[in-house]
Amino acid sequence: MEEIDIKKMNYTQAKNELEQIVTAIESGKLDIDALTSSVKRASELISFCKQKLTKTDKELQKILDDIE
Amino acid sequence: MADKSLSLSELNGCVRDAIQQALPETYWLRAETSDVRRNRNGHCYLEFIEKNAITDSIIAKARGVIWSNVYEMLSQYFEKETGQQFTTGLNVLVRVSIEFHELYGYSLTVVDIDPTFTLGEIARNRQLVINRLEQEGVLTLNKELILPEITNRIAVISSPTAAGYEDFMHQLNKNRSGFKFYAKLFPAIMQGDRSEASIIAALERIFVNSEHFDAVAIIRGGGASADLNCFDSYLLANNIAQFPLPVISGIGHERDVTVTDIVSHTRAKTPTAVAEFIIEHMSVTATELIDLQDRIISVSESVILKEKNDLLLASKEVVHGAKMLLQREFATVDKYSSTMKHQIKQSLQSHYHHLENREQYINMVSPDNILKRGYTLTLKGGAFVTSVDDLKVGDKIETRFKDGSSESEITKL
Repeated sequence: MEEIDIKKMNYTQAKNELEQIVTAIESGKLDIDALTSSVKRASELISFCKQKLTKTDKELQKILDDIE
Repeated sequence: MADKSLSLSELNGCVRDAIQQALPETYWLRAETSDVRRNRNGHCYLEFIEKNAITDSIIAKARGVIWSNVYEMLSQYFEKETGQQFTTGLNVLVRVSIEFHELYGYSLTVVDIDPTFTLGEIARNRQLVINRLEQEGVLTLNKELILPEITNRIAVISSPTAAGYEDFMHQLNKNRSGFKFYAKLFPAIMQGDRSEASIIAALERIFVNSEHFDAVAIIRGGGASADLNCFDSYLLANNIAQFPLPVISGIGHERDVTVTDIVSHTRAKTPTAVAEFIIEHMSVTATELIDLQDRIISVSESVILKEKNDLLLASKEVVHGAKMLLQREFATVDKYSSTMKHQIKQSLQSHYHHLENREQYINMVSPDNILKRGYTLTLKGGAFVTSVDDLKVGDKIETRFKDGSSESEITKL
C-alpha cells in the first residue's frame, strides 16, 4: 500500500484507507512488523479523521465568512 | 327626464334593495383568498377571487369583510382545524351574505367558514404539485443524494430573527460530542407572498457557492400556526428537488407534511430536530470511526497475544526438549554406569575367585599344610635336606613338625 500524505487527503479517502488497513489486519496475514507499521499508519489516519470531526478549520471558516 | 332621474345614492339604494330582495339569504361560497389584511379595529378585509384552472387568470373577484368579532372566532377555529393561518392564497369555503352599500359598493360579509374544505383543497393542491413533480421525474431527486459522511458545512435558509434559527444554532453548537459545525445563514422571508421568491433566491445564492457546503437546512420556527402556502409551491419544490446538495427541512409544523418536506432529502419537524439530525449523522460517522479503531486495537491485541503464546509455547518446547534430551542422556549414562559397575563387579569377582583358587592352592601346597598332614621337614645347618646323600653319620639334623621341631643325630645311614 503506497502511503499518501495524510494532510492531502479528505475524510473519505482517509476512512477508506483505514478500512483497508483494518481488513488487512483482520485477515491475520500480517506479520508482527507489518502489523506494527499498519497500526501506526491507522492511528495517524484515525487522529486525522477525529480532527476533521471536532477541530475548527480556520481556512474553511474564512471561506464561509466571505461568502455573500 | 330630470324628474325621472335618480341620484347616485338613490340608484345605489335601488341596487341594494334589489340585491337584498334577490339574494336575501347567506350562501356557501368557494373562492380563493387574496390580499387578506386586518385593520386596527380588528376587522378583516380581503378579496375573494376565482382563477381559470388552466390559464390561472382571474375570472371573478369580490371584496369581502369579516367583522372583528366574527373574525376572532372564525380565524381561531380555522387555525385549530387546519393548522394554517387564515391568510392570502387559500381556497376557502365561507358562508357569506351579500351586501351592497351606496358608498362602498358590492361586498361579501363572511359569517361562517368550513375549514375541512380548505384542508381538502390544500391536500388536493399538494397532490397536484406532487403529481407534476413526479411526471417531470424530479420528485425524488434530492432524496437520492447521499449526505456526506462529514456533513458539517450547513447553508441555512431562515429568517435571521426567527426563534427557530436561534434554537437551531444553539442545538448545533452545543452538541455534546464536540463536533464542529459551520453554519452560514442565507436570510430569507419565510412567510407571506414574498417568501417563495425569497427562499428561491437564497437557494440560488447557495447554489453559486455549493462546493463549500454539505447540506442545506430550510428552517422556520415558532408559532402554533403558520402560513405554509409557500412550502406547497411548485416552483420552490422544483428548486429543492433539483438542488445539488441534500436539503433538510424543518418548517416547524407538527401536523402537515408540505410539498417542501416531501421533496427534501430529509424532513425534520422543527429547526431543533434538523440540528439533532445533523448531529446524529455526525455521530454515526464518529461511531464508525471508533468502531474501526476498536477493531484495530482488538485485532492487534489478539495478534500480540497469539505471538506471545507462540513464543511461550516455543520456549516451553525448548525447555521440555532440552529436559527430555538430558533425561535421555542421563538414562544412557546411568545405563552405562550400571553396566560398568556390573562388569567391574564381575571382573572383580572373577579376580577374587582366581585369587581364592590361588590361595587354596597355595594353602594346599604350603609347608604348613603339608606338615599338618604329617609330613616333616628336615634341615641341616638351617638348609633343607632333600636327599639322603646330603647326610653323613654324626650330622645333627632338625626335624620340623607342624607344631614344633626336634633335633636328632644321624646314627646310621
